[in-house]
Amino acid sequence: MTEASELGLGVDMSFRPSASTRRPRLSRGTILLGVLGLLAAFPAPDLAVAQPAALSKELIARGKYVFGVAAGCGCHTEPKKVATELNAGGRKYDGPFGTVYATNITPDPETGIGKWTDDQIITAIRAGRRPNGDRLIPVHPYPTFNGMAEEDLRAVVAYLRSVPPVRRANTPKKISVPMFESVFLPAWLAAFAPRETPPATAPASGLARGEYLVRAVGHCGECHTPRGMTQALDNSRFLAGNPKGKGPEGSEVPNITPDTDTGIGKWTEEQITTYLATGNLPNGDVAGGLMGEVIQGSSAGYKDMTKADLVAIARYLKSIPAIKNKIGD
Amino acid sequence: MRQASRGAGLVVLGLAVAVAAGCASDKRMMKSGSGDIVADRQRMMKLHGQVWSDIQAKAKANNIEGIEVSAETLAINAQYIPLMFPEGTLTDKSKAKPEVWQKFPEFEAAAKKMETEAVKLRDASKAKNAQLTQDIVKDFGRNACGTCHTPFRVPPPRT
Repeated sequence: MTEASELGLGVDMSFRPSASTRRPRLSRGTILLGVLGLLAAFPAPDLAVAQPAALSKELIARGKYVFGVAAGCGCHTEPKKVATELNAGGRKYDGPFGTVYATNITPDPETGIGKWTDDQIITAIRAGRRPNGDRLIPVHPYPTFNGMAEEDLRAVVAYLRSVPPVRRANTPKKISVPMFESVFLPAWLAAFAPRETPPATAPASGLARGEYLVRAVGHCGECHTPRGMTQALDNSRFLAGNPKGKGPEGSEVPNITPDTDTGIGKWTEEQITTYLATGNLPNGDVAGGLMGEVIQGSSAGYKDMTKADLVAIARYLKSIPAIKNKIGD
Repeated sequence: MRQASRGAGLVVLGLAVAVAAGCASDKRMMKSGSGDIVADRQRMMKLHGQVWSDIQAKAKANNIEGIEVSAETLAINAQYIPLMFPEGTLTDKSKAKPEVWQKFPEFEAAAKKMETEAVKLRDASKAKNAQLTQDIVKDFGRNACGTCHTPFRVPPPRT
């Protein structure tokens, strides 16, 4: 059950771009009041304890692959510390609410997630809740990761448990907005944050596979989709890019819809797959910045995707609505 | 005594000539380029991109031997990259980030890495080792260009 449905919003969030952009047609004040009431009435998601899955080599390998498609969960590893402090956290992220630091997701029992059950880890990834019920700040894109299939998440958990534990205490966040976590964040999540719906099983091929990888696992929209005034993703302009100052860390993020003038409509399928696998652009340039990071990943990244998955992504990107939105010079 | 002072005079004269020649040489070096260092380095990076495109096309066509000269061009150009980013040339006209000068030793190391990878590619091509050449080409963008682009450059528009 998704958190959206737990909260009784009744918003249709089926796995299509048009559907996930729907929002309740109520005033924000009404929504806020309703949400606060619902939050008081409903308990936190089920955090029932479950035994860790048996860590077979196949499951770990599959988990590493999915981890790579999720860009190697690169936010959780300091650049240049992949070999020594993989997943140990520490990277700083500034937002309008304050400053947060990526957490330690190594299996260290004291400072990492070594004592968390599989279900607790999955709940954190897709519902943004810690075992004690605290909400994560959605710098960790759980509304998007909510669209990941259960089987893929179980594999990722197996992989997370397989890497070396690193003892590194988490740096406390610094929230500068009063009542941000107790009032504003839950209200914002319930009212404005479109939440992907997970498929029963991960699609294996075709456009559905591409859509799943782009929308959920690869979380492309987190950077490439413009945000509205509420800072929620505006999926009516899915993947239409962000100008300088509006992307993550103030970066400019390109329009990757199939618009021929302002997007990647002139790119061939092969050019898209080459770019994701190597960072090489059709004009001889090579990816840098955050895109360079996600292609490279940490212990795995976009570069490690199979040809079939790269093609599925390219075909899906060519199938979405073209949106004219010029980014950059 | 007179001989000694004459010897010292010759040494001083020799040093003066050497310094003058060095300065003249420096001035000649300074005159290389268009005088607009930002425009020059942008031209050089554009050339890098074209050479890299050329290498990818040759790799795709399995023209392994043809890659040698292009890789050598990249290797030589890479030696000049740090020289093209003197202190005080941060500008809005350029995508170079302030980190270039804040972490210049790392920037130099990234340029050296580019040279090293290009030399490996050149040698693999020269040896007609098709598999090794293709393997290096596959990762070259990320391993060579990307090590500099990711931390030191604002990504340019992608259309």
